[in-house]
Parts: sequence; structure tokens; C-alpha cells
Amino acid sequence: MVLFMKSVKNIFSFVIPLCVMLITFSMYIFTEEIIANYKTQISDDYSIVVITNTPLIKDDINSLAGINVKKIVTLEKEEIIKKVKDSLSENSIFLLKQRLPFFYTLHLETFPTSSQLEQIRKELAKIPNINKIEIFSKDHNKIFSLLILNQNIIIVFFAISLLFSIILFSKQIQIWFYEHQEKISIMQLHGASILYSASAVIRDALIGAFIAFLMVSSLLLFLFENLTIIFPPELHSIIQLEASLNIEFVYLFFLSMSISITTIIGVLFKYKIRKYG
Amino acid sequence: MIKAKEIYLSYDENRFIIKKGNFQIKPREFVFIGGASGSGKSTLLKSFYGAISLKHGQLIIDDKDISSPSNRTLRSVRKNIGVIFQDYKLIKEWTIEENIMLPLKINGYSSDISKQQAIKLLSHVKLSHREGFYPSQLSGGEQQRVAVARALAHNPKIIIADEPTGNLDDSSADLVWNLLKNANEQLGITIVVVTHRVPRNFGIGFRQLSIEDGIIYEVC
Repeated sequence: MVLFMKSVKNIFSFVIPLCVMLITFSMYIFTEEIIANYKTQISDDYSIVVITNTPLIKDDINSLAGINVKKIVTLEKEEIIKKVKDSLSENSIFLLKQRLPFFYTLHLETFPTSSQLEQIRKELAKIPNINKIEIFSKDHNKIFSLLILNQNIIIVFFAISLLFSIILFSKQIQIWFYEHQEKISIMQLHGASILYSASAVIRDALIGAFIAFLMVSSLLLFLFENLTIIFPPELHSIIQLEASLNIEFVYLFFLSMSISITTIIGVLFKYKIRKYG
Repeated sequence: MIKAKEIYLSYDENRFIIKKGNFQIKPREFVFIGGASGSGKSTLLKSFYGAISLKHGQLIIDDKDISSPSNRTLRSVRKNIGVIFQDYKLIKEWTIEENIMLPLKINGYSSDISKQQAIKLLSHVKLSHREGFYPSQLSGGEQQRVAVARALAHNPKIIIADEPTGNLDDSSADLVWNLLKNANEQLGITIVVVTHRVPRNFGIGFRQLSIEDGIIYEVC
């Protein structure tokens, strides 16, 4: 019973940092998906206005800076003329209609980055019949910078937690090695390989990785089921994620196992070098 | 067979514990290695299972040169010999049968066969009534008998023992000596024992090597 409790305690000292890392990774994936979702949503509202001398043909601008052009909407001249109609004669209105350039709004399939936006401006400027381009970069940058900031904070947080988790895992595995040192040496004296003699340590690490995966997956499942309760109503349209949780679970499982296995291999290698070096 | 040719052993460069060691131990022999405390007898024994590397010379164990062995060769040698230590070196978290099963498992035997062999050996060392016990629940003499059973488990050609009766009272020591004598006489296993005191009236033929000032010589 004492040995069992000790083993459980040992496993949990491995599970906790792994859970922190997996949760951060889930947050990263979650933010990525929210941003992708949000980008699609705001790309519907966002458009670039271009003014041309001659009518614009959609086939001429299928993509800009690698982003597909979703649609080109013609702004009706009638709407513009309507505003000044009362002060002009019929003839003047006709002439104005003839002389007014063509106004279009370009809608993109995804929300461009700031550099893509600059590239779009350059590509549009190369088209001969375009007189003026308005990309609303100020509004765009405000929204986009906030998104990128969030995304980068999560990436940095994930990198830091990954680093600290790996340090904690390797320390914990080293502690296990010291605890099992006598057993490992006895097994090696009888001709066991390092892999065989460290099988108890490896088993505990893999069990720990699996427990961490189960805990984080359950937490994630709970959060996804209750997104509308956790987040305020204003954010509900953004957080309606269609992402498949199954894929996220697969990522988590492989990350959990691969981090554990890599750390074990690292510690085993170090142990082997120290033993036979 | 164990064959040492001009072997030198040391823990540091300044002092050789064994100097120019030459000897040969033939199959089925029972050999005692004696000498004063600190004379290097345990160090010599350690070289037989590769726990210490040779500085010079050549050492052949069971037709394998372990003068500067690879990990694979070392494992292969260790798999084919039985080792008994003064402090028993039993795995305390395992039952005594599991301890006996260890060399069998390492040699690839199935759990069922290993278990059967362990139970048979427990009976052989007269510890059937202790089945399922952990080492800490046994006396020193009983633990050493488990260690002897473990050394015999995989039917090795050679058993090496470092002061196997050093921590035991006379009656427990007699039981261990009898087990080793039987292994030598009945199973034909070569036995090499490091001891500072060769038992009297041993009952079977044996050779004795002794170490003095790092030199190994035969006691006539």
C-alpha cells in the first residue's frame, strides 16, 4: 500500500507539469481556431475600395497577395448621384453619370495580414485602369494587431511552459532513476539492458503521460461543452468553433507521449553515458 | 572457463590492485580466492562480470574476451553467469520468487516457465514455506539462499560469489556451502568464491588462489 501510494505520488509529480504544458498547448490551438474563425468573420465585413476608369473584370483579379478574392461588388453610381440630384439639371446628371468613374469593393476570402495588405495595395496599383485604392489600413491594423498580440502571447507562454515542463520531467525521471538505482544496478549485473532495467521508470512515465492526456482532454471536453456559459454573450459568435475535438485529442495524445518518450530517451542516454562513459 | 593473461586492475592510475595476474579456471572446478582484507579479491571478482575494466592484459570468460568489452558483450557474459553477493542484492520491492525469476526473464523465458523454475528452486533451497514473501521478511541466511537460487535459475556455466557467507551464522553458512557444493558436483557448474576464510572439511575437491601485494598465486 505504501509502495502504491509512493508510486501514485511519483506519477503525479510528473503529471502536473505535463498537464500545464498540455493546457497551454490546448489554449494555443483554441486561440488559433478562434483567430481563424474571427478572421473569416471580419473578412466578410472588411473590404478594399477601388476606383477605376473602366469596368473591372473579376477574372483579372482572382487573387491578391495569395488570398483569393471572394467577390467584387460594384457600388452603384445612382447612389452617389442621388445625393446631389436635387441641385442638378437632367442634362448635368446625365453628363455626371458619363464622367463618374467606377466604384468597387473587393471582398477577400481570408483576413489579410498587414504585410499582405501592403502587397495587395502594390498589386492593385499595377493594374492600369485603377485610379485610387483605399485599403483602410488604420482600422485593419488595429484589429489585426490585437489578434496577433494575443496569438504571440500564447505562443511565448507555450514555449516557456514547454521548456519548464521538460526541465521538470527530466528532473522527475532522474529522481526515479535514483530511487530505482539499486534495482537497476542489480538487473544490469544480471545482464539486463538499460531499457529493460529501467522499465519501471518508463512505465511510470508513460502512465503519467496517459493520465495527463486524460485529465486535459476531460477538461477540454468540459470547456467545449460550456463555452457559452464561460464566455460573455458578445463573444458567442466568435467562439462558435467548428473544430473537431477529436483532432485536438489526437494532438494532445501525441504531444503528451512524445514529450515523455523524448525526455525518457534523453535521461536514459545521459544515464548510459555516465554508467559506461 | 576463465582465463586471465597478464591482467592489471586498478581504480586509479597510481596503484595497481592486481598486477600481472595469470591464472586459469577450468570448467567444473571449485575455486576459492583468498587474501587479506583489501588485497583485491573482490576487485578481481568484479572484473569477471565487467564491473571493473582491465588496465592491461586479457580476460576470457566463457570464451568471450572481456578485456575491453562492448555493452553487448558485457550483457551476454552477465546473462550466462550466476552472481552471489555478500549483501545478497535482492530487489526489495519484489517477492522472492520474482527475484529468482529475474535472470530467466532477462534471458527471455516466459513468465510461466520462470515461475515454475522459481518454485522448483525455492524447494531446492528449502524455502518453499516462504513463497510470496519479500526479502525484508526473511533472515540473512534465507535471503542468501534466495540469492543462490537466483544464481542457479538460468543454469549458468559459472557462478561467482563474493563472500557469500560473510554475513551469516555457521548453520546458515553451512546451508549455503552445501548448495554451492551440490551445484558444482551435481550440475557441473564452475564455482569461483571469494572468501577470507576457506571452510574446514569442505568435503569436495577445490583449488585455492590467493592474492598478496597484488600478485595472484596458487595455494598448494
